[in-house]
Amino acid sequence: MSAPDTVQLPPGTRTAAPPGRAPGRIRPRRRTVRQVLRRDWQLYSLAVLPLLFFAVFRYLPMAGNVIAFRRYHPGGSIFGDRWVGLHYVRLFLEDSTFWHVFTNTLVLGGLTLLFTFPLPIVLALLLNEVRTRWLRRFVQSISYLPHFLSIVVVAGIIVESLSTDGVVNQALRAVGHSPIPFIQRPEWFRPMYVSSEVWQTVGWGTILYLAALTTIDGNLYEAARIDGAGRWRQTWHVTLPGIRPTMMTLLILNIGTFMAIGFEKVLLLYNPLTYPTADVISTYVYRVGVVTGSFSYAAAIGLFESLVGLVLVVSANLVSRRAVGTSLW
Amino acid sequence: MVTVDAPPIQPRAGRPRTRRPSQGSRTFNAVNAVILTAVVVLTLYPFVNILARSFSEEHYIRSGQVNLLPKGFNLTTYRTVLSDSTFWTNYGNTVLYTVVGTLISLVLTTCYAYVLSKKHLRGRTLLVGIAVFTLFFNGGIIPNYVLVSGLGLRNSLWAIVLPNAVSVFNLLVMKAFFESLPAELEEAAAVDGMGTYGILLRVVLPLSKAIIATMVLFYAVAYWNSWFSAFLYMDNTSLFPVTVYLRNLIAGATGGTNEGMASDTQLQIAANIKAVTVVLTVLPILLVYPFIQRYFVTGILLGAVKE
Amino acid sequence: MYNLSRRQVLSGAGAGAAALALAACGDGGGDDNSTKGPDLSANREGAMDKYAAGDQFKATQPLSFSIMMLSNAAYPYKADWLFFQELTKRTNVTLQATVVPGSDYNQKRSVMVSGGNAPMIIPKTYRPDEEQYIASGAILPVSDYTSLMPNFTDQVKKWKLEGDIDTMRQDDGKFYLLPGLHEDVWKDYSLAIRTDILQKLNLTIPKTWDDLLTVLRAMKAAYPDQYPFSDRWSVPPQPAGANALLSILGEAYGTWAGFSWNHTTWDPKAGKFVYTGAMDEYKKMLQYVNTMVSEKLLDPESFTQTDDNARQKFASGKSFVISCNAQTLANECRPDIAKIPGATVVKIPVPIGPIGSAKTGTRLESGLMISSKAKDSKNLVAMMQFVDWLFYSDAGKMFAKWGVQGTTYTGSIDDGSFKLASDVKFAGLNPTGTKNIQVEYGFFNGVFVYGGSTKLLNSQFPAEEKQFQDAMTARKTLPVPPPHPLDADEREQATLWEAGLKDTVAQQTVKFSLGQRPFGEWDSYVSELKAKNMQQEVDTVNKSYERYKKNHG
Repeated sequence: MSAPDTVQLPPGTRTAAPPGRAPGRIRPRRRTVRQVLRRDWQLYSLAVLPLLFFAVFRYLPMAGNVIAFRRYHPGGSIFGDRWVGLHYVRLFLEDSTFWHVFTNTLVLGGLTLLFTFPLPIVLALLLNEVRTRWLRRFVQSISYLPHFLSIVVVAGIIVESLSTDGVVNQALRAVGHSPIPFIQRPEWFRPMYVSSEVWQTVGWGTILYLAALTTIDGNLYEAARIDGAGRWRQTWHVTLPGIRPTMMTLLILNIGTFMAIGFEKVLLLYNPLTYPTADVISTYVYRVGVVTGSFSYAAAIGLFESLVGLVLVVSANLVSRRAVGTSLW
Repeated sequence: MVTVDAPPIQPRAGRPRTRRPSQGSRTFNAVNAVILTAVVVLTLYPFVNILARSFSEEHYIRSGQVNLLPKGFNLTTYRTVLSDSTFWTNYGNTVLYTVVGTLISLVLTTCYAYVLSKKHLRGRTLLVGIAVFTLFFNGGIIPNYVLVSGLGLRNSLWAIVLPNAVSVFNLLVMKAFFESLPAELEEAAAVDGMGTYGILLRVVLPLSKAIIATMVLFYAVAYWNSWFSAFLYMDNTSLFPVTVYLRNLIAGATGGTNEGMASDTQLQIAANIKAVTVVLTVLPILLVYPFIQRYFVTGILLGAVKE
Repeated sequence: MYNLSRRQVLSGAGAGAAALALAACGDGGGDDNSTKGPDLSANREGAMDKYAAGDQFKATQPLSFSIMMLSNAAYPYKADWLFFQELTKRTNVTLQATVVPGSDYNQKRSVMVSGGNAPMIIPKTYRPDEEQYIASGAILPVSDYTSLMPNFTDQVKKWKLEGDIDTMRQDDGKFYLLPGLHEDVWKDYSLAIRTDILQKLNLTIPKTWDDLLTVLRAMKAAYPDQYPFSDRWSVPPQPAGANALLSILGEAYGTWAGFSWNHTTWDPKAGKFVYTGAMDEYKKMLQYVNTMVSEKLLDPESFTQTDDNARQKFASGKSFVISCNAQTLANECRPDIAKIPGATVVKIPVPIGPIGSAKTGTRLESGLMISSKAKDSKNLVAMMQFVDWLFYSDAGKMFAKWGVQGTTYTGSIDDGSFKLASDVKFAGLNPTGTKNIQVEYGFFNGVFVYGGSTKLLNSQFPAEEKQFQDAMTARKTLPVPPPHPLDADEREQATLWEAGLKDTVAQQTVKFSLGQRPFGEWDSYVSELKAKNMQQEVDTVNKSYERYKKNHG
């Protein structure tokens, strides 16, 4: 009578309807708070500890952001000592360098998203097609190794391979082309950064999708095959819809966070010659805010970035909900 | 009442293999093979190079002669690092922080994700919003430092495992997974008199092995590689995880903070400490991953559920 | 601490600039407490009643002070070092260490001070890092307490360091950092040249920068497919690239560049500060670099490559000249070329430029901050006396550096009889020793070893470096610029201007050097600087100079 451990039901049956909304379910009537509590107290109880975590370790420190509007001196009160209103906000809004790095961040983040989002899916699908199990596991295990390299090591590898005596230029020389000083050319920074991001994240990104792929019922493929669908049609009609919830969730999250380009990697790859394309908000804030102790200025910019991210995620979620029915909330 | 037919157990989920591959199928396989080979080469080459360097003699590294095989094979750097008792103390710390941290994170994330996946729940949107908001807004290093310090957590394990217990990213992915599980199962179990806790433990979790395995991997790797929290909140060498130890070793060996002339050993270390660090931190994960991988092949019994 | 990292040079230059300067304003207005300092009657517990220069400090009761301890991975912190035991024996003070890994010392220090958790004594602080903590009152204005530090005041007077100290003063006339004091400017960076190649081509060691050009040209003629000079020290977050080269070149031209970069240079003839990046001397210096690049003597990658890449070229014999300091010469250049048959390398005395045989720079080194919590401590006086003894007395410095006479060394440095004990080794000295003085005993630790007399400094060098130091000591030391401290508001505004200016200068420096921008466009470059608030920056600095002069003489 108890549910067997090994039951695996096909979520694939929901290809038509948006996931999570069971067909034929009646909307419950509005209930009073007490009724709700009585019915769902166990659920709410599960949420208590996590909420405590959020309250203490996430929301409490947020109060520190107030230094974006108050004059803060390192070593003094963490809430600053004097209200200055929008002084810092105005400072960065009027700073032409800031808008330049803002644009750079947009472009770099956008390009990175464009390439690093679909490629893990493609790789997961390709891996899924490999017949031999051990071979598939081998390739997958190797593919995520770059994820574990520290940024310093990766930057070192990149700079070395792109130097005038590095592998890339050796290959160029072999085909008769003169060597290109990639590191010193602003127009090469973006391709260099995006490629290294792809290289580092594509393998690791497949893990989630491969886990999602396992939840797709084999019977569906059988059914599709019987219906005469070839491999490509099977992929389109069975596989992709099966991993759609995961895909959309990740897409929304990535859109919300695409502007958060980590500064350490850019810091190790850029130099004054490539500032025009390489300088992003985080490196700019690092040079201007952190190194010199202008934390209030850094906080103001940080708040601005957060706001942009929040707007992006809300918009992306809205679009996703209208288009395919997946929503974060 | 739930009855389940007992169709033959299929060894794995995913696409069943057809018997005779068609022509187009074979071309596809060939192309696939090429692409995957390229992926393997591109990702494996730097590692083989790093591995070779970790065993190579300093001079060959310095003049750029080390490629795929070690030159001047020696274990100097390994020996120096592995014979330092602080290294092992710190390694033990890393294991402790990883295990405890992953456990706590897993429990909190699973509970909250499950709650969030219940669409009928009053206030659910608010609960999700509370989590998502923290993705974008945070207090910054100093307020967090003051908080952890004020709570008296400095120089303890809790400073590492508590402040980053829940990753909203992982939370939302897990929520999506739970949402994709069919409601009938849980409803049926509820009809059978099971409470929420029971449903979660006995129905939902067994079906979620793949996602749980993934979360274990994500959290464990994050804790394994983390150094910043420990660096910030620990003031005592014996509490550092091995990442801080190795990071400091790299800085000391390769930065300009040595006074005077270094010994031969120090020169050798400076040449390949980064490579050795990579090997020592990646190796354990490579060894553990195959054990987790089998949980990704969950779909065991497939069949219809009759209601 | 003896190693002259780029931070140290940068901070030294950060005090201001003087190429051809007159002496700074007198011996400083905030002269150590001729007027009554703060009332310390409640803070005298454990202190010595009569403590004068040359006395051994010993607390009258056992005391313990907290200190931020940077742990260098080359000699990781050990609580049971002989250093600590002997220190307690001699001074009755135990040090409680907060251990911080050296890799990220600055950040941890910053967080601890900002979070209110910092230990009492905070060493390894480079100018101007202490400035950000002044406004909040987190650190002590140590100049108010120098009356408690007889060795410190004695040394300042003996070595005539008043001008250097003045460069640290803030607009309230006080200074907030206890720096390491050097008897003379310590020059460490220069060029390493393959002497066997020089010999082969019948060349002599270049004495001036023009000589260097001759040498490089000859090398190029003999090896036309190589760049004879490929440089390092370009990795971020430094300004420009090839920062060591630009640093010594800039100083030779009477300006500041690379590691030594400073936004303003003191022009003694005009009696005011000018913007470094727009100076004529700066332009001339860039033209020199450009000459090297256009004649293919200097590898253009010098400005962006990693140190490893640069070293690789030197190690494989592709290049013959590279920037170095004493440490990298011994630890890197020489071992790198060990496998090239017959290869020898030497660090040449810094080539001489238009300002002639002189050297610029500061004689102050990284130093200590004292947390302002010490003000309320009843052991404040004892702590200042302790710090004075350990860091500024001859006995204390000798102890911190070389340890215990009879155990770790014999003889004395004054008469040249100093020698390490037979089983003790330090770097290049006494290589047959079995115990490393830093690792096993805890002496010569960068946290406690600062500055010193030239004799003390020389005691750590092998013979070769001593020669270099002798050559450099012989050069005239030029005075430092007058103080021009900004107040908190000015500093905040200037920080933002300077960020934009520094970026522009860095970018154009590399572009002009590489020939990507012709010198005909120099004037439009200057207008670009003007657009980035160059004039406001200079005006602010000059205004604060005038203000300080008026208030403090």
